[in-house]
Amino acid sequence: MSQIETFYDVMRRQGITRRSFMKYCSLTAAALGLGPSFVPKIAHAMETKPRTPVIWVHGLECTCCSESFIRAAHPLAKDVVLSMISLDYDDTLMAAAGHAAEAALMDTIEKYKGNYILAVEGNPPLNEDGMFCITGGKPFVEKLRMAAKDAKAIISWGACASYGCVQAAAPNPTQATPVHKVITDKPIIKVPGCPPIAEVMTGVITYMLTFDRLPELDRQGRPAMFYSQRIHDKCYRRPHFDAGQFVEAWDDENARKGYCLYKMGCKGPTTYNACSTIRWNEGVSFPIQSGHGCIGCSEDGFWDQGSFYNRLTNVKQFGIEANADQIGTAAAGVVGGAIAVHAAVSALKKAQKKSQDKVEG
Amino acid sequence: MTRLVVGPFNRVEGDLEVTLDIAEGQVRAARVNAPLYRGFERMLEGRDPRDALTITPRICGICSISQSAAAARALASAMGMTPTPQGARVAALIHAVENAADHLTHFHLFFMPDFTRPVYAGHGWHGRVIDRFTAIDGSALRAAVAARADLLHIVGMLAGKWPHTLAIQPGGVTRAPGPRDKARLAVSLRAFRRYLEETVFGAPLEEFVALSRIDDLMRWGRGDVGLFLDIAADLGLDGMGRGSGRYLSFGAYPVDAGPIFAAGAWDNGPRPLDTAAIREDLSHAWMTGTEAHPSEGRTEPDTTMSDPAYSWCKAPRLAGRSMETGALARQVVDGHPLARAMAGGGVLARVAARLLELARTQIVMEDLVAGIDPGATFMHSAPAPREGTGEGLVEAARGALGHWLRIADGRIASYQIIAPTTWNFSPRDAAGIPGPLEAALEGAPVQDGETTPVSVQHIVRSFDPCMVCTVH
Repeated sequence: MSQIETFYDVMRRQGITRRSFMKYCSLTAAALGLGPSFVPKIAHAMETKPRTPVIWVHGLECTCCSESFIRAAHPLAKDVVLSMISLDYDDTLMAAAGHAAEAALMDTIEKYKGNYILAVEGNPPLNEDGMFCITGGKPFVEKLRMAAKDAKAIISWGACASYGCVQAAAPNPTQATPVHKVITDKPIIKVPGCPPIAEVMTGVITYMLTFDRLPELDRQGRPAMFYSQRIHDKCYRRPHFDAGQFVEAWDDENARKGYCLYKMGCKGPTTYNACSTIRWNEGVSFPIQSGHGCIGCSEDGFWDQGSFYNRLTNVKQFGIEANADQIGTAAAGVVGGAIAVHAAVSALKKAQKKSQDKVEG
Repeated sequence: MTRLVVGPFNRVEGDLEVTLDIAEGQVRAARVNAPLYRGFERMLEGRDPRDALTITPRICGICSISQSAAAARALASAMGMTPTPQGARVAALIHAVENAADHLTHFHLFFMPDFTRPVYAGHGWHGRVIDRFTAIDGSALRAAVAARADLLHIVGMLAGKWPHTLAIQPGGVTRAPGPRDKARLAVSLRAFRRYLEETVFGAPLEEFVALSRIDDLMRWGRGDVGLFLDIAADLGLDGMGRGSGRYLSFGAYPVDAGPIFAAGAWDNGPRPLDTAAIREDLSHAWMTGTEAHPSEGRTEPDTTMSDPAYSWCKAPRLAGRSMETGALARQVVDGHPLARAMAGGGVLARVAARLLELARTQIVMEDLVAGIDPGATFMHSAPAPREGTGEGLVEAARGALGHWLRIADGRIASYQIIAPTTWNFSPRDAAGIPGPLEAALEGAPVQDGETTPVSVQHIVRSFDPCMVCTVH
């Protein structure tokens, strides 16, 4: 453990100037909602603390989280965060291949025992003993359990790891299961979204590296600093909602004027995320700005709530505060329903298997 | 004869495992396994047809716009509508940006880092490659990631976010770009051209696009492209991983005048494309059911994973033959003289064709932006039909992508997807004919004691596989 560099060492080795480093510290403080007095604190932590090793594993997923991450907006996040967290083991980006890669994983776990952060992208499918996602000859769920055992904390990247996401959509053919249902004895921070916003990802990880603890979480286990407000609360089209000015059809006159997309099925009023403040692709835009409603991709069960183009029916134009929690409960109810559906499907599958045996016999 | 299982592969999208039979320092037979199955086609059944626009992009976070474009096309065809001309133009632009970004990623992050391996120490170019292409840290990688993020501003601007964009709809796009957007798009493209010309190609793109002979290509000598070509000449990448020479392209970027890169098939010469002749063979896939056209196909996983199957991937065939798809296929079918000269395939041909297409795509994107008319209609809408069928064919970065949709009683009754890597990495069919990668691996050299044969790494990555799309 003694030979781990500090973040600052890593940065300097990457050719980052002192000036850029300080700028990064102040940007980070701002992104995390911390005052200027925290800037020297962050800088000091980065100069003196050994960097935290991160192991990044991929289960059943589409890699959109990694894709988002490597496009972070801070001028430095792209270079710095990537190099500073040192993806000691990352399936998609690392150099080693095949069994060397598996060995690298074991080495990293051994070397940083009890001290590394496990970042999980995707989730384990549990059906048929996990055979729907096999990596290195073993079901992913085994790799996940093994890597989690000695981790200090776990980050569940994205809707897949946090909630299941579309691959858990009814009938959830592979029984894709979120990380917290499999790993129950470790602190888990959920960073949902499909994918999460790059700045949210780097912000969360920087906070953990700097302060050596989890950020404040909401009751669903999400970092409160990014998930405490609805898209709707800070949406730049909100005045049109309040004024009752709505898009009625795609590319109509109202759409060109940038009216509210609520009637086109926008889920902004029930979605907790930072899209309308931080925005996407280096702050350029976000879905509502492109003329399409929010689909609520950072909410549990967003994939099974009826059509993405159905209008929310329980949103009152005023007094919406009164039923935000009810909406949360409704979502949980739907998930319960999905499990029941799943049980039925498993029974159906058994029936299928029988008939297939017959054909083969 | 020894058997070697190579996998998991890093630096490919998703999970992949290749079983090799090796004798006398050569691969005799290869079996490709896509070990990841999620069941998207099953999840789509029973849903509102429009939901395909949100669900299918999430098959893949790298080529999500391709999936989104295919879903929009399939729905449009079921509705009997076509996008407005300007809507099609903007959709094509969004899609072209993703494909260009994918080509850039493949070259820098996935393909080139293999040449930094210690096995190549002592080659004249090794030091340069280590400096430029070391995984994660190489100077070229960092520049490419930055250039790519800047290029994707275009998607941000036009489509709200990337990955998992929602803006492409059956009738066009949800965002009508104004004159100010048009100017910003042009600025982003100019910056990307500057990066390509200064760093990747080391010369004006038009000069690279004008190449027509392999000899001239090999003498290029400029930029990172020149470095790759020096390596290719030294290691004989031309002869490595040769393919069947049969290619398939659904035609890229359909605008009102037709696709910008032509649709068609190639088998020692141009052939017409008849998508009705596509069949998905299940003999070596862990799937139950019978061979079918995707409009009638089913996805029923065989949970017993019984022999002789060895992959979740079905084996698509065009008129009974395996087909290679991707940038090389697209450029051969489109008739570019350099691509036609390289139609024999191989590692060099696949990678060089991707670079050629990257240069051509930049020019295509500039033309698309120049033709944007901010006053026009970018989208029209129509209700989804109660009953109907649709076929959505597009070209993803990795090749031909098709969605086949049937709507009954206002809901999705069946949805079948054939992704590019499904074609390229298909297992054997009932006749025992191997898929394109399996065939390309036969004859690959394996040195004594190699557990991850480097030639196999090059050949596999030359296809730019996307394993999550393959099985979905």
